[in-house]
Amino acid sequence: MPQPVDVDDLRQGLLGVGYVADAGLATALACGVSLGRAILLEGDAGVGKTDAARALAAVFGAQLLRLQCYEGLDLAAAAYDWNYGKQLLAIRTAEASERPGADEARRIPDLYGDEFLIRRPLLAALGATRERGIVLLIDEIDRADDEFEAFLLEFLADFAISIPERGTIAATHPPIVVLTSNRTRDLHDALKRRCFYHWIGHPTVEREIEIIRLHLPDVAPELAGDVARAAANLRERGLRKAPGIAESLDWTQTLGLLGARRLETEVFEPSLGSVLKYPEDIDLARASAAAIVAAARGPSTGSG
Amino acid sequence: MAGTRRAQTFAEVLRVLPTASSAGVYWRARAAMLPSIDDLDAFQAAFLEFFGAIDDADALRRLVRTVDAPPRPAPNAPKRETIPPPPSDRPAGPELADKAPILWIAASSQDRLSDKAFEDLDEAERAAMMRLIERVRTAAELRASRRRRADQHGDRFDFRRTLQSAARTAGELARRRTTRRRLRLRPVAFVLDVSGSMTPFARALVQYARVTAAARPAVSAFAFATRLTDLTPLLKRAGDDRLMSAIAQTVRDYGGGTRIGAALRTFNDRYAVRGAARGGTVVILSDGWEREDPALVGAEMARLRRLTRRIVWVNPHKRHAAYEPLARGMAAALPYLDAFLSGHNLRTLEAVADAIEGRLG
Repeated sequence: MPQPVDVDDLRQGLLGVGYVADAGLATALACGVSLGRAILLEGDAGVGKTDAARALAAVFGAQLLRLQCYEGLDLAAAAYDWNYGKQLLAIRTAEASERPGADEARRIPDLYGDEFLIRRPLLAALGATRERGIVLLIDEIDRADDEFEAFLLEFLADFAISIPERGTIAATHPPIVVLTSNRTRDLHDALKRRCFYHWIGHPTVEREIEIIRLHLPDVAPELAGDVARAAANLRERGLRKAPGIAESLDWTQTLGLLGARRLETEVFEPSLGSVLKYPEDIDLARASAAAIVAAARGPSTGSG
Repeated sequence: MAGTRRAQTFAEVLRVLPTASSAGVYWRARAAMLPSIDDLDAFQAAFLEFFGAIDDADALRRLVRTVDAPPRPAPNAPKRETIPPPPSDRPAGPELADKAPILWIAASSQDRLSDKAFEDLDEAERAAMMRLIERVRTAAELRASRRRRADQHGDRFDFRRTLQSAARTAGELARRRTTRRRLRLRPVAFVLDVSGSMTPFARALVQYARVTAAARPAVSAFAFATRLTDLTPLLKRAGDDRLMSAIAQTVRDYGGGTRIGAALRTFNDRYAVRGAARGGTVVILSDGWEREDPALVGAEMARLRRLTRRIVWVNPHKRHAAYEPLARGMAAALPYLDAFLSGHNLRTLEAVADAIEGRLG
């Protein structure tokens, strides 16, 4: 049985490995871990869904297995496959060493033994031990198709995979499962019902500063503040793609490379490509460059 | 929304991870019982109603407000519009026609109605027309999926099945097994201008969208005047009435005039990029009269062009011989179209079905 994990302890632990989680996210993760249930994280691209799983693995000293979903993802790529080359070789070897009069049944080797089985992430995730747990990250589940989602239901319910040639393989120590979705389509209710759900929103300015400084300790504190405020300002402008934390980090790094210690008008435009990814958005930001830079530098220069 | 199973989960959470703080209870309840961020408002209302009776209601309200300030979805997250129930004073006409046998309609009225414009129909004829539209061919275009299935004459060697069958023939690889790509339907999205004079034509196309959605997956439909409403959830579930009142509501709510560019932008941002139109066909019904800047129509059409395989524009005015695309929105959209049709009567509706599959230039 999974061990209960205290919410605040988990939050501290995540912070210790460089991930800033708010109370909601920490609670959802703690619930999932404590009850041995999957956690479904939704949110815009770049808000730290995948990193949450990575951090969770680091906190528990567990191995992280990542399964990137795509349309057409099938069991051979997600769960298990057979090593056909090896199987063929085994058949040929058996034929070559065949003695006349040998027992008919012994002529054909067992082609479905462990040595022929290739373990893909889902099957590998069932191999957790008491000493070393496993965090299974099923990334961008919304990109997979319905058929795969249906299979996942079975997997999440029992933490077992049935292989027709071998029978059912079940986990002795269930893995911690994290699913992420960008919401390119709605997931089935049956799948959602089996998960704890959390929507990761864009962070507050304070939290974003914390994250930037945690990830980029060499950056000037003022610059981190400027970027966080500018990102918050950009997110309010109805862009096609509002910048996520990943973009803020990229932006900070870019500005650092450009030698900036504060967000200035001169570096604002050249660095926009690291934070906005649509030409329309860049045009829009350019048009209000002065306002954004002013907002970014507001609190420390004025009374704000 | 939260079934008993979710409530059970919540109870389990409280047992395993007890908490004394209101915030703790709130987050535990949310992780266990909120099915989607779209339902957050309903969840919060239910949370306040239930725990407000036990705890200090004002304090809870403050908590829910402050605690939930940051993690709200981006404004462009899809949100289903709620559709009010149909008005009770529906006209008596359609019921009479409902009882008329289909064959009778087919025999006597198909010829007569085929060429009559949708806007010229009277109440009884419209009901008959709705039946006739049900018999228009369902448009369906296929593409090869990444997923494969066993097929005797497939194009890729199937190691696993070949070896499995080899076990039956004493290790002899007797039969070659192959797989072939599965075929999938390309999506179709209907984006319908329901303002003013477009309403009768929109009704006909919505009916066609319903028929299509009943026959195949990956069909969506939207109504717009000044704003965009997602009709997709109603396509499969509701009868004629709910859809039509949803359309009427779209017009009533958002006042007169048409904002094609703004509607297309919403469609692109919320639905097209999320897959409602990727690699498929978008059918747009509008006369192209844009109340605002036609440049936005052009820009959004260009985006849609990049997102979809095919764009079909239906403009009933095109049936007049002297028609020229003078409406500025129409002129802005023209360069991006694969097919430009009138779709004003049953006969031309069949042409729309062809155009969805790209069989008409």
